[in-house]
Amino acid sequence: MATDKELSDFLKSVEKRAFKRTAFAVRDDDSALDIVQDSMIRLAEKYIDRPAAELPLLFQRILSNATMDWFRRQKVRNAVVHNFSDFGGSDEDGEFDILEMLDGIEGNVGTESASDSVSRDQILQIIEQQVGELPARQREAFLLRYWEELDVAETASVMGCSEGSVKTHCSRAVHALAKALKAKGIAP
Amino acid sequence: MTKTTNLTYSPVPDRDGLEARFGVRVASMLGERAQSAAPDISERLRFAREQALMRGQAARRQEQLISAPAAVVVGRGRSATLANHLGWWVKLGSAMPLALLVLGLVGIAHVHEKAQIAAVAEVDAALLSDDLPPAAYTDPGFAEYLKTNRE
Repeated sequence: MATDKELSDFLKSVEKRAFKRTAFAVRDDDSALDIVQDSMIRLAEKYIDRPAAELPLLFQRILSNATMDWFRRQKVRNAVVHNFSDFGGSDEDGEFDILEMLDGIEGNVGTESASDSVSRDQILQIIEQQVGELPARQREAFLLRYWEELDVAETASVMGCSEGSVKTHCSRAVHALAKALKAKGIAP
Repeated sequence: MTKTTNLTYSPVPDRDGLEARFGVRVASMLGERAQSAAPDISERLRFAREQALMRGQAARRQEQLISAPAAVVVGRGRSATLANHLGWWVKLGSAMPLALLVLGLVGIAHVHEKAQIAAVAEVDAALLSDDLPPAAYTDPGFAEYLKTNRE
């Protein structure tokens, strides 16, 4: 059974990412805050007897379900499901983009000046914007996999799909981001 | 979250490795931005966390109350736990004063009856042992009584 401190520490560690992930989905900060609060309360009330190690996966499931419930209530679910082909492209081009991006990563580490800091804020903002523009399922898979650091099986469990679908969503999300960021001249 | 994503670093990274490195890098930058959330957002998240913890503590207390020994619940006046063996003792204890009261009333009635019988017997004995007054022989009722007994 998770102690109060373990639960508190876990919620504290996850709350901002949870809010951001939900805000990406519902595109409204107040609604995102409500959903995160409901999810926290549901976790604390219903799963207080579970060990602390199970909390991350449980919380992600609860948060995803709460977000889906919100869409059902709003009756706008169809409006946020985009066509995956919007971000389509050949795999070869995408792989090339990523290689270029990764070259940029290695070159940028540890060389930040004051002016770089300002531009870095802008870069972070653009990256956030591009992630927000990803199709819902791709974005969810990408964020669960790389931000929440769930493995493929856990991500599939939270999303209610197969592991193959998770890999496809993640791959498409990465390529779409690489393409969009390259178009803006940004190498993360 | 303490887990780390396993990344494959090799001289010629494979496609999955490249995607994972890119994904982790973008996610770390997202995290950097998320940590600098607006103060009002941070405050509302703190409030939400505290609310959740309070509800969790209440749920934990409720769970402990349900799983506690029945005697405690009986002490709080719940009747649903009387089936427990401790409940029978409590039930027996509450019935004891009533039984004592009934026994007491029966005892009092018995003593009262014996006292009445003793009083009547005393009067009868006094009457029988006393001399018959002469006026009694002029009483028609007494004469009839003697006549009936004789027959």
